Amino acid sequence: MSRAAPLLPREDAREAALFFVVCALCFLAVFSGLVARAAYAAADAWTSEVAGEITIRVRGPEADTQRAVDIIVNTSGIASAHALTRAESEELLKPWLGTAGIPAGLQLPRLIAAEGAAGAGDAVATALRQANINATVDNHETWSADAKRATDTIGLIALSAVALLGATGIAVIAFATHATMLARRDIVELLHLSGAKDDFIAGLFERRFLMLGVQAGALGALLAFGAAAFILFAVRQTDEQAWLLPQLSLSLADGLILGLSPLIAGAAAMFAANMTVKRSLSDMV
Amino acid sequence: MPEYDVSTDEPVLRLDRVGLSYGPKSDVLADVSLSLRPGSMTFLTGPSGAGKSTLLRLAYLALRPTAGRVSLFGVETNRLRRRDLAPLRRRIGVVFQEFRLLDHLSAYDNVALPLRIMGRPEASYRQDVADLLGWVGLGDRLDARPATLSGGEKQRVAIARAVVGKPDLLIADEPTGNVDEEMGERLYRLFRELNRRLKTTVLIATHDMALVRRAKNDVLRLAEGMVVRVPLDPRDGQP
Repeated sequence: MSRAAPLLPREDAREAALFFVVCALCFLAVFSGLVARAAYAAADAWTSEVAGEITIRVRGPEADTQRAVDIIVNTSGIASAHALTRAESEELLKPWLGTAGIPAGLQLPRLIAAEGAAGAGDAVATALRQANINATVDNHETWSADAKRATDTIGLIALSAVALLGATGIAVIAFATHATMLARRDIVELLHLSGAKDDFIAGLFERRFLMLGVQAGALGALLAFGAAAFILFAVRQTDEQAWLLPQLSLSLADGLILGLSPLIAGAAAMFAANMTVKRSLSDMV
Repeated sequence: MPEYDVSTDEPVLRLDRVGLSYGPKSDVLADVSLSLRPGSMTFLTGPSGAGKSTLLRLAYLALRPTAGRVSLFGVETNRLRRRDLAPLRRRIGVVFQEFRLLDHLSAYDNVALPLRIMGRPEASYRQDVADLLGWVGLGDRLDARPATLSGGEKQRVAIARAVVGKPDLLIADEPTGNVDEEMGERLYRLFRELNRRLKTTVLIATHDMALVRRAKNDVLRLAEGMVVRVPLDPRDGQP
Protein backbone atom coordinates (compact mmCIF):
# COMPACT_ATOMS: atom_id res chain seq x y z
CA MET A 1 0.00 0.00 0.00
CA SER A 2 1.35 3.45 -0.86
CA ARG A 3 1.97 5.78 2.05
CA ALA A 4 1.85 9.60 2.00
CA ALA A 5 2.55 10.01 -1.69
CA PRO A 6 3.54 13.53 -2.83
CA LEU A 7 0.46 15.67 -3.42
CA LEU A 8 2.00 17.10 -6.57
CA PRO A 9 2.72 14.69 -9.41
CA ARG A 10 6.31 13.95 -10.28
CA GLU A 11 8.02 16.47 -12.52
CA ASP A 12 6.95 16.63 -16.13
CA ALA A 13 8.49 17.94 -19.35
CA ARG A 14 7.82 21.55 -18.36
CA GLU A 15 9.92 21.20 -15.23
CA ALA A 16 12.71 19.44 -17.12
CA ALA A 17 12.83 22.41 -19.49
CA LEU A 18 12.84 24.79 -16.52
CA PHE A 19 15.68 22.80 -14.94
CA PHE A 20 17.72 23.30 -18.10
CA VAL A 21 16.96 27.04 -18.24
CA VAL A 22 17.83 27.63 -14.57
CA CYS A 23 20.98 25.56 -15.00
CA ALA A 24 22.00 27.62 -18.05
CA LEU A 25 21.25 30.92 -16.33
CA CYS A 26 23.22 29.86 -13.28
CA PHE A 27 26.08 28.75 -15.50
CA LEU A 28 26.23 32.17 -17.16
CA ALA A 29 25.88 34.06 -13.87
CA VAL A 30 28.58 32.04 -12.11
CA PHE A 31 30.85 32.16 -15.15
CA SER A 32 30.52 35.96 -15.27
CA GLY A 33 31.13 36.18 -11.54
CA LEU A 34 34.21 33.95 -11.63
CA VAL A 35 35.72 35.74 -14.61
CA ALA A 36 35.10 39.12 -13.03
CA ARG A 37 36.65 37.86 -9.77
CA ALA A 38 39.65 36.52 -11.66
CA ALA A 39 40.03 39.82 -13.50
CA TYR A 40 39.99 41.70 -10.22
CA ALA A 41 42.57 39.31 -8.76
CA ALA A 42 44.78 39.77 -11.83
CA ALA A 43 44.52 43.56 -11.63
CA ASP A 44 45.45 43.38 -7.95
CA ALA A 45 48.44 41.23 -8.79
CA TRP A 46 49.54 43.59 -11.56
CA THR A 47 49.26 46.70 -9.43
CA SER A 48 50.91 45.13 -6.38
CA GLU A 49 53.69 43.92 -8.69
CA VAL A 50 54.53 47.49 -9.66
CA ALA A 51 53.60 49.14 -6.38
CA GLY A 52 56.66 50.96 -5.01
CA GLU A 53 58.61 50.52 -8.23
CA ILE A 54 59.83 53.65 -9.96
CA THR A 55 61.34 53.73 -13.43
CA ILE A 56 63.46 56.72 -14.40
CA ARG A 57 64.47 57.40 -17.97
CA VAL A 58 67.51 59.66 -18.28
CA ARG A 59 67.38 61.80 -21.41
CA GLY A 60 70.54 63.87 -20.84
CA PRO A 61 74.15 62.88 -21.44
CA GLU A 62 75.48 59.38 -20.55
CA ALA A 63 77.28 60.71 -17.48
CA ASP A 64 73.99 61.89 -16.02
CA THR A 65 72.89 58.27 -15.51
CA GLN A 66 75.30 57.44 -12.68
CA ARG A 67 74.83 60.94 -11.21
CA ALA A 68 71.10 60.33 -11.21
CA VAL A 69 71.52 56.94 -9.49
CA ASP A 70 73.56 58.59 -6.74
CA ILE A 71 70.93 61.27 -6.22
CA ILE A 72 68.07 58.80 -6.25
CA VAL A 73 69.68 56.43 -3.73
CA ASN A 74 70.05 59.35 -1.32
CA THR A 75 66.49 60.59 -1.81
CA SER A 76 64.19 60.14 1.15
CA GLY A 77 61.92 57.08 0.88
CA ILE A 78 64.08 55.24 -1.65
CA ALA A 79 65.34 51.81 -0.65
CA SER A 80 67.46 50.97 -3.68
CA ALA A 81 68.25 52.11 -7.20
CA HIS A 82 70.38 50.87 -10.03
CA ALA A 83 70.93 51.63 -13.69
CA LEU A 84 69.70 48.87 -16.00
CA THR A 85 72.41 47.15 -18.00
CA ARG A 86 71.98 46.77 -21.76
CA ALA A 87 71.11 43.11 -21.22
CA GLU A 88 68.37 44.05 -18.76
CA SER A 89 66.99 46.65 -21.15
CA GLU A 90 66.98 44.14 -24.01
CA GLU A 91 65.06 41.69 -21.79
CA LEU A 92 62.42 44.34 -21.20
CA LEU A 93 62.08 44.95 -24.95
CA LYS A 94 61.73 41.28 -25.87
CA PRO A 95 57.92 41.27 -25.87
CA TRP A 96 57.93 43.99 -28.50
CA LEU A 97 61.10 43.26 -30.51
CA GLY A 98 61.22 39.48 -30.16
CA THR A 99 64.09 37.17 -29.29
CA ALA A 100 65.99 37.54 -32.57
CA GLY A 101 68.32 39.97 -30.91
CA ILE A 102 68.63 43.72 -30.89
CA PRO A 103 71.28 45.22 -33.19
CA ALA A 104 74.37 46.19 -31.17
CA GLY A 105 74.38 49.67 -32.59
CA LEU A 106 70.82 50.43 -31.64
CA GLN A 107 70.73 52.95 -28.86
CA LEU A 108 68.48 51.90 -25.99
CA PRO A 109 66.82 54.18 -23.47
CA ARG A 110 68.91 54.64 -20.34
CA LEU A 111 66.74 53.42 -17.50
CA ILE A 112 67.11 53.39 -13.74
CA ALA A 113 65.00 51.02 -11.62
CA ALA A 114 64.31 52.17 -8.08
CA GLU A 115 62.25 50.80 -5.22
CA GLY A 116 60.79 52.87 -2.46
CA ALA A 117 57.81 53.95 -0.48
CA ALA A 118 54.61 55.16 -2.07
CA GLY A 119 54.97 58.79 -3.11
CA ALA A 120 58.76 58.62 -3.33
CA GLY A 121 58.48 59.18 -7.10
CA ASP A 122 57.61 62.84 -6.54
CA ALA A 123 60.67 63.35 -4.29
CA VAL A 124 62.89 61.70 -6.94
CA ALA A 125 61.50 63.94 -9.70
CA THR A 126 62.10 67.05 -7.55
CA ALA A 127 65.65 65.99 -6.65
CA LEU A 128 66.55 65.29 -10.30
CA ARG A 129 65.05 68.58 -11.43
CA GLN A 130 67.05 70.47 -8.78
CA ALA A 131 70.23 68.67 -9.94
CA ASN A 132 69.43 69.81 -13.48
CA ILE A 133 69.17 66.29 -14.85
CA ASN A 134 66.83 65.80 -17.82
CA ALA A 135 64.83 62.73 -16.86
CA THR A 136 61.26 61.44 -16.70
CA VAL A 137 60.02 59.64 -13.62
CA ASP A 138 57.29 56.98 -13.90
CA ASN A 139 55.89 55.50 -10.71
CA HIS A 140 53.33 53.50 -12.74
CA GLU A 141 50.39 55.29 -11.13
CA THR A 142 48.87 56.07 -14.50
CA TRP A 143 49.20 52.43 -15.58
CA SER A 144 47.77 51.20 -12.27
CA ALA A 145 44.86 53.63 -12.52
CA ASP A 146 44.16 52.46 -16.07
CA ALA A 147 44.27 48.82 -14.98
CA LYS A 148 41.93 49.55 -12.08
CA ARG A 149 39.55 51.43 -14.36
CA ALA A 150 39.55 48.51 -16.79
CA THR A 151 38.85 45.91 -14.10
CA ASP A 152 36.20 48.14 -12.52
CA THR A 153 34.48 48.29 -15.90
CA ILE A 154 34.74 44.50 -16.29
CA GLY A 155 33.34 44.10 -12.79
CA LEU A 156 30.44 46.45 -13.53
CA ILE A 157 29.64 44.58 -16.74
CA ALA A 158 29.80 41.25 -14.92
CA LEU A 159 27.64 42.57 -12.09
CA SER A 160 25.08 43.88 -14.62
CA ALA A 161 25.12 40.51 -16.37
CA VAL A 162 24.59 38.68 -13.08
CA ALA A 163 21.73 41.04 -12.13
CA LEU A 164 20.13 40.67 -15.56
CA LEU A 165 20.51 36.89 -15.46
CA GLY A 166 19.04 36.82 -11.96
CA ALA A 167 16.04 38.90 -13.00
CA THR A 168 15.59 36.75 -16.11
CA GLY A 169 15.81 33.63 -13.95
CA ILE A 170 13.09 34.87 -11.60
CA ALA A 171 10.87 35.84 -14.53
CA VAL A 172 11.39 32.47 -16.22
CA ILE A 173 10.73 30.59 -13.00
CA ALA A 174 7.59 32.65 -12.35
CA PHE A 175 6.39 31.93 -15.88
CA ALA A 176 7.14 28.22 -15.54
CA THR A 177 5.50 28.07 -12.11
CA HIS A 178 2.43 29.75 -13.52
CA ALA A 179 2.35 27.23 -16.38
CA THR A 180 2.73 24.39 -13.89
CA MET A 181 -0.01 25.92 -11.76
CA LEU A 182 -2.34 26.08 -14.75
CA ALA A 183 -1.57 22.46 -15.52
CA ARG A 184 -2.18 21.55 -11.88
CA ARG A 185 -5.16 23.82 -11.37
CA ASP A 186 -7.37 20.80 -10.71
CA ILE A 187 -5.16 19.82 -7.79
CA VAL A 188 -4.89 23.35 -6.47
CA GLU A 189 -8.65 23.86 -6.66
CA LEU A 190 -9.38 20.51 -5.01
CA LEU A 191 -6.97 21.28 -2.16
CA HIS A 192 -8.47 24.74 -1.82
CA LEU A 193 -12.04 23.43 -1.69
CA SER A 194 -11.00 20.75 0.78
CA GLY A 195 -10.00 23.45 3.24
CA ALA A 196 -6.26 23.71 2.58
CA LYS A 197 -4.87 27.10 3.51
CA ASP A 198 -3.00 29.15 0.92
CA ASP A 199 0.30 28.59 2.75
CA PHE A 200 -0.21 24.82 2.64
CA ILE A 201 -0.78 24.85 -1.13
CA ALA A 202 1.98 27.39 -1.80
CA GLY A 203 4.31 25.27 0.34
CA LEU A 204 3.89 22.29 -1.98
CA PHE A 205 5.05 24.36 -4.95
CA GLU A 206 7.71 26.17 -2.93
CA ARG A 207 9.38 22.92 -1.90
CA ARG A 208 9.19 21.55 -5.43
CA PHE A 209 10.74 24.65 -6.99
CA LEU A 210 13.28 25.17 -4.19
CA MET A 211 14.72 21.74 -4.90
CA LEU A 212 14.62 22.35 -8.63
CA GLY A 213 16.41 25.70 -8.25
CA VAL A 214 19.08 24.35 -5.90
CA GLN A 215 19.82 21.28 -8.04
CA ALA A 216 19.84 23.20 -11.33
CA GLY A 217 21.87 26.00 -9.75
CA ALA A 218 24.44 23.60 -8.32
CA LEU A 219 24.88 21.87 -11.65
CA GLY A 220 25.17 25.21 -13.49
CA ALA A 221 27.71 26.51 -10.95
CA LEU A 222 29.88 23.41 -11.20
CA LEU A 223 29.80 23.50 -14.99
CA ALA A 224 30.71 27.21 -14.94
CA PHE A 225 33.66 26.56 -12.62
CA GLY A 226 34.82 23.72 -14.84
CA ALA A 227 34.46 25.83 -17.97
CA ALA A 228 36.28 28.84 -16.48
CA ALA A 229 39.09 26.64 -15.14
CA PHE A 230 39.45 24.86 -18.47
CA ILE A 231 39.51 28.05 -20.56
CA LEU A 232 42.05 29.81 -18.33
CA PHE A 233 44.17 26.66 -18.12
CA ALA A 234 44.11 26.22 -21.90
CA VAL A 235 45.06 29.85 -22.53
CA ARG A 236 47.88 29.66 -20.02
CA GLN A 237 49.30 26.68 -21.90
CA THR A 238 49.63 28.70 -25.10
CA ASP A 239 50.79 32.09 -23.88
CA GLU A 240 54.23 33.00 -22.65
CA GLN A 241 52.93 36.01 -20.78
CA ALA A 242 50.66 33.76 -18.73
CA TRP A 243 51.37 35.79 -15.60
CA LEU A 244 49.30 38.56 -17.16
CA LEU A 245 46.22 36.32 -17.35
CA PRO A 246 43.57 36.17 -14.66
CA GLN A 247 44.17 33.44 -12.11
CA LEU A 248 41.36 31.12 -11.04
CA SER A 249 41.67 29.92 -7.50
CA LEU A 250 39.25 28.57 -4.94
CA SER A 251 39.47 31.60 -2.72
CA LEU A 252 36.77 32.46 -0.21
CA ALA A 253 35.12 34.81 -2.72
CA ASP A 254 35.12 32.15 -5.45
CA GLY A 255 33.75 29.66 -2.94
CA LEU A 256 30.99 32.11 -2.02
CA ILE A 257 30.06 32.59 -5.68
CA LEU A 258 29.94 28.82 -6.18
CA GLY A 259 28.19 28.06 -2.91
CA LEU A 260 25.67 30.88 -2.90
CA SER A 261 24.55 30.59 -6.52
CA PRO A 262 22.50 27.39 -6.05
CA LEU A 263 21.01 28.81 -2.86
CA ILE A 264 20.10 32.06 -4.61
CA ALA A 265 18.62 30.11 -7.53
CA GLY A 266 16.63 27.98 -5.10
CA ALA A 267 15.45 30.98 -3.10
CA ALA A 268 14.46 32.80 -6.31
CA ALA A 269 12.55 29.76 -7.49
CA MET A 270 10.82 29.40 -4.13
CA PHE A 271 9.94 33.11 -4.01
CA ALA A 272 8.60 33.06 -7.57
CA ALA A 273 6.55 29.94 -6.81
CA ASN A 274 5.10 31.49 -3.67
CA MET A 275 4.11 34.72 -5.43
CA THR A 276 2.64 32.94 -8.44
CA VAL A 277 0.66 30.38 -6.46
CA LYS A 278 -0.74 32.94 -4.04
CA ARG A 279 -1.71 35.27 -6.86
CA SER A 280 -3.52 32.40 -8.58
CA LEU A 281 -5.22 31.40 -5.33
CA SER A 282 -6.38 34.95 -4.74
CA ASP A 283 -8.55 34.56 -7.85
CA MET A 284 -10.45 31.81 -6.05
CA VAL A 285 -13.09 32.46 -3.40
CA MET B 1 -40.36 34.79 -2.03
CA PRO B 2 -41.13 32.85 1.14
CA GLU B 3 -38.31 30.84 2.58
CA TYR B 4 -38.67 27.08 2.65
CA ASP B 5 -37.43 25.85 6.02
CA VAL B 6 -37.01 22.16 6.82
CA SER B 7 -35.58 22.87 10.23
CA THR B 8 -36.54 23.89 13.65
CA ASP B 9 -32.92 24.00 14.95
CA GLU B 10 -30.03 26.27 13.96
CA PRO B 11 -29.59 25.51 10.27
CA VAL B 12 -26.39 23.88 9.06
CA LEU B 13 -26.81 25.65 5.75
CA ARG B 14 -28.93 28.70 5.17
CA LEU B 15 -29.34 30.65 1.94
CA ASP B 16 -31.16 33.91 2.39
CA ARG B 17 -32.46 35.55 -0.81
CA VAL B 18 -29.30 34.50 -2.61
CA GLY B 19 -28.63 35.56 -6.16
CA LEU B 20 -25.79 34.95 -8.55
CA SER B 21 -25.32 36.73 -11.84
CA TYR B 22 -22.45 37.26 -14.24
CA GLY B 23 -23.70 40.64 -15.40
CA PRO B 24 -26.96 42.39 -16.21
CA LYS B 25 -29.69 40.03 -17.45
CA SER B 26 -27.54 36.96 -16.84
CA ASP B 27 -28.90 35.70 -13.56
CA VAL B 28 -27.93 32.11 -12.79
CA LEU B 29 -29.81 32.18 -9.51
CA ALA B 30 -32.15 34.83 -8.19
CA ASP B 31 -33.69 35.27 -4.77
CA VAL B 32 -33.11 31.70 -3.58
CA SER B 33 -33.73 30.89 0.07
CA LEU B 34 -33.46 27.59 1.90
CA SER B 35 -32.14 26.14 5.10
CA LEU B 36 -31.16 22.64 6.21
CA ARG B 37 -31.57 21.44 9.77
CA PRO B 38 -28.75 19.46 11.41
CA GLY B 39 -28.92 15.74 10.68
CA SER B 40 -31.36 16.15 7.79
CA MET B 41 -31.07 14.44 4.45
CA THR B 42 -32.36 16.43 1.50
CA PHE B 43 -32.54 15.91 -2.24
CA LEU B 44 -32.21 18.86 -4.58
CA THR B 45 -33.91 18.22 -7.90
CA GLY B 46 -34.64 20.25 -10.97
CA PRO B 47 -34.18 20.28 -14.71
CA SER B 48 -30.76 20.48 -16.33
CA GLY B 49 -29.46 24.02 -16.34
CA ALA B 50 -31.69 25.07 -13.45
CA GLY B 51 -28.62 25.94 -11.38
CA LYS B 52 -28.40 22.95 -9.02
CA SER B 53 -24.63 22.66 -9.35
CA THR B 54 -24.25 26.43 -8.97
CA LEU B 55 -26.34 26.35 -5.82
CA LEU B 56 -24.16 23.55 -4.45
CA ARG B 57 -21.02 25.52 -5.36
CA LEU B 58 -22.37 28.42 -3.33
CA ALA B 59 -23.01 26.00 -0.46
CA TYR B 60 -19.53 24.52 -0.43
CA LEU B 61 -17.95 27.97 -0.82
CA ALA B 62 -16.57 27.63 -4.32
CA LEU B 63 -18.54 30.75 -5.27
CA ARG B 64 -19.69 33.88 -3.49
CA PRO B 65 -23.21 35.12 -4.18
CA THR B 66 -23.72 38.47 -5.86
CA ALA B 67 -26.82 39.04 -3.74
CA GLY B 68 -28.17 37.72 -0.46
CA ARG B 69 -26.46 35.81 2.35
CA VAL B 70 -25.02 32.31 2.73
CA SER B 71 -24.62 31.01 6.28
CA LEU B 72 -22.85 27.79 7.27
CA PHE B 73 -23.02 26.37 10.78
CA GLY B 74 -24.47 29.66 11.95
CA VAL B 75 -21.67 31.75 10.43
CA GLU B 76 -22.54 34.29 7.77
CA THR B 77 -19.88 33.65 5.15
CA ASN B 78 -20.32 36.87 3.18
CA ARG B 79 -18.59 38.79 5.93
CA LEU B 80 -15.66 36.43 6.28
CA ARG B 81 -12.25 37.06 4.78
CA ARG B 82 -10.88 34.52 2.29
CA ARG B 83 -8.54 32.92 4.79
CA ASP B 84 -11.36 32.43 7.30
CA LEU B 85 -13.31 30.25 4.89
CA ALA B 86 -10.81 27.35 5.03
CA PRO B 87 -11.90 26.12 8.50
CA LEU B 88 -15.53 26.10 7.32
CA ARG B 89 -14.60 24.14 4.19
CA ARG B 90 -13.00 21.47 6.37
CA ARG B 91 -16.40 20.83 7.94
CA ILE B 92 -17.91 20.13 4.52
CA GLY B 93 -17.45 16.96 2.51
CA VAL B 94 -18.09 17.27 -1.19
CA VAL B 95 -18.76 14.53 -3.74
CA PHE B 96 -18.13 16.28 -7.03
CA GLN B 97 -20.10 15.35 -10.10
CA GLU B 98 -16.91 14.57 -12.03
CA PHE B 99 -15.27 12.86 -8.99
CA ARG B 100 -12.14 15.06 -9.05
CA LEU B 101 -9.85 12.27 -7.94
CA LEU B 102 -6.14 12.96 -8.29
CA ASP B 103 -4.85 10.66 -11.01
CA HIS B 104 -1.33 10.33 -9.58
CA LEU B 105 -2.58 9.19 -6.18
CA SER B 106 -3.85 5.77 -5.16
CA ALA B 107 -7.39 5.25 -3.87
CA TYR B 108 -5.91 5.23 -0.36
CA ASP B 109 -4.08 8.54 -0.85
CA ASN B 110 -7.10 10.16 -2.50
CA VAL B 111 -9.27 9.25 0.48
CA ALA B 112 -6.61 10.38 2.97
CA LEU B 113 -6.28 13.80 1.30
CA PRO B 114 -8.62 15.78 3.63
CA LEU B 115 -6.87 14.31 6.68
CA ARG B 116 -3.46 15.33 5.36
CA ILE B 117 -4.82 18.84 4.81
CA MET B 118 -5.99 18.84 8.43
CA GLY B 119 -2.41 18.03 9.41
CA ARG B 120 -3.18 14.64 10.92
CA PRO B 121 -0.18 12.28 11.14
CA GLU B 122 -0.56 9.28 8.88
CA ALA B 123 -0.27 6.79 11.70
CA SER B 124 -3.44 8.22 13.23
CA TYR B 125 -5.62 7.58 10.18
CA ARG B 126 -3.98 4.74 8.26
CA GLN B 127 -6.35 2.08 9.56
CA ASP B 128 -9.41 4.37 9.40
CA VAL B 129 -8.84 5.06 5.70
CA ALA B 130 -8.35 1.37 4.95
CA ASP B 131 -11.50 0.50 6.92
CA LEU B 132 -13.50 3.20 5.14
CA LEU B 133 -12.43 1.92 1.73
CA GLY B 134 -13.43 -1.54 2.90
CA TRP B 135 -16.80 -0.15 3.97
CA VAL B 136 -17.45 1.18 0.46
CA GLY B 137 -16.43 -2.17 -0.98
CA LEU B 138 -12.92 -1.26 -2.12
CA GLY B 139 -10.87 -2.94 0.58
CA ASP B 140 -8.85 -4.76 -2.06
CA ARG B 141 -8.26 -1.66 -4.23
CA LEU B 142 -6.31 0.54 -1.82
CA ASP B 143 -3.33 0.92 -4.14
CA ALA B 144 -5.36 1.26 -7.33
CA ARG B 145 -4.96 4.47 -9.35
CA PRO B 146 -8.17 6.17 -10.52
CA ALA B 147 -7.36 5.29 -14.13
CA THR B 148 -7.76 1.61 -13.28
CA LEU B 149 -11.08 2.04 -11.45
CA SER B 150 -14.56 1.75 -12.94
CA GLY B 151 -17.01 4.66 -12.77
CA GLY B 152 -18.75 3.18 -9.76
CA GLU B 153 -15.47 2.52 -7.97
CA LYS B 154 -14.31 6.08 -8.60
CA GLN B 155 -17.60 7.31 -7.25
CA ARG B 156 -17.16 5.29 -4.07
CA VAL B 157 -13.59 6.57 -3.62
CA ALA B 158 -14.93 10.11 -4.03
CA ILE B 159 -17.61 9.41 -1.42
CA ALA B 160 -15.07 7.91 0.98
CA ARG B 161 -12.90 11.00 0.57
CA ALA B 162 -15.89 13.24 1.25
CA VAL B 163 -16.79 11.50 4.50
CA VAL B 164 -13.36 10.50 5.87
CA GLY B 165 -13.07 13.70 7.89
CA LYS B 166 -16.53 13.10 9.42
CA PRO B 167 -17.91 16.35 8.01
CA ASP B 168 -20.88 18.13 9.51
CA LEU B 169 -22.32 18.70 6.05
CA LEU B 170 -22.04 16.36 3.06
CA ILE B 171 -22.85 17.77 -0.36
CA ALA B 172 -23.10 15.45 -3.33
CA ASP B 173 -23.59 16.59 -6.90
CA GLU B 174 -25.30 13.89 -9.00
CA PRO B 175 -23.58 11.08 -7.07
CA THR B 176 -25.53 8.41 -8.93
CA GLY B 177 -25.26 10.03 -12.35
CA ASN B 178 -22.49 7.75 -13.60
CA VAL B 179 -23.63 4.43 -12.17
CA ASP B 180 -26.38 1.93 -12.86
CA GLU B 181 -29.54 1.70 -10.78
CA GLU B 182 -28.22 -1.02 -8.51
CA MET B 183 -25.04 0.88 -7.76
CA GLY B 184 -27.07 4.07 -7.33
CA GLU B 185 -29.18 2.36 -4.70
CA ARG B 186 -26.06 1.07 -2.96
CA LEU B 187 -24.49 4.53 -2.91
CA TYR B 188 -27.69 6.00 -1.55
CA ARG B 189 -27.62 3.47 1.28
CA LEU B 190 -24.07 4.66 2.06
CA PHE B 191 -25.31 8.24 2.35
CA ARG B 192 -28.27 7.10 4.43
CA GLU B 193 -26.02 5.17 6.80
CA LEU B 194 -23.72 8.13 7.17
CA ASN B 195 -26.65 10.37 7.87
CA ARG B 196 -28.03 8.00 10.51
CA ARG B 197 -24.77 6.85 12.10
CA LEU B 198 -22.84 10.12 12.19
CA LYS B 199 -25.82 12.53 12.06
CA THR B 200 -24.20 14.16 9.05
CA THR B 201 -26.42 16.64 7.27
CA VAL B 202 -26.66 15.51 3.66
CA LEU B 203 -27.64 17.50 0.56
CA ILE B 204 -27.78 15.54 -2.69
CA ALA B 205 -28.43 17.07 -6.09
CA THR B 206 -29.85 14.47 -8.44
CA HIS B 207 -31.79 13.80 -11.60
CA ASP B 208 -32.67 10.32 -10.40
CA MET B 209 -36.36 10.78 -9.60
CA ALA B 210 -36.87 7.06 -9.06
CA LEU B 211 -34.32 7.18 -6.26
CA VAL B 212 -35.91 10.32 -4.83
CA ARG B 213 -39.33 8.66 -4.76
CA ARG B 214 -37.98 5.54 -3.06
CA ALA B 215 -35.93 7.44 -0.51
CA LYS B 216 -38.72 9.50 1.00
CA ASN B 217 -36.41 12.25 2.21
CA ASP B 218 -36.96 15.98 2.10
CA VAL B 219 -37.02 17.18 -1.49
CA LEU B 220 -36.33 20.65 -2.82
CA ARG B 221 -36.95 21.54 -6.43
CA LEU B 222 -34.97 24.26 -8.14
CA ALA B 223 -36.56 25.73 -11.24
CA GLU B 224 -36.31 29.13 -12.86
CA GLY B 225 -34.05 30.35 -10.11
CA MET B 226 -36.47 29.48 -7.31
CA VAL B 227 -36.47 26.70 -4.70
CA VAL B 228 -39.79 25.13 -3.79
CA ARG B 229 -40.61 22.32 -1.42
CA VAL B 230 -41.91 19.18 -3.02
CA PRO B 231 -44.54 17.47 -0.88
CA LEU B 232 -43.75 13.88 0.07
CA ASP B 233 -47.09 12.97 1.44
CA PRO B 234 -48.92 10.89 -1.19
CA ARG B 235 -52.03 12.95 -0.60
CA ASP B 236 -50.01 16.02 -1.69
CA GLY B 237 -48.74 14.25 -4.77
CA GLN B 238 -45.47 12.46 -5.50
CA PRO B 239 -42.32 14.42 -6.35
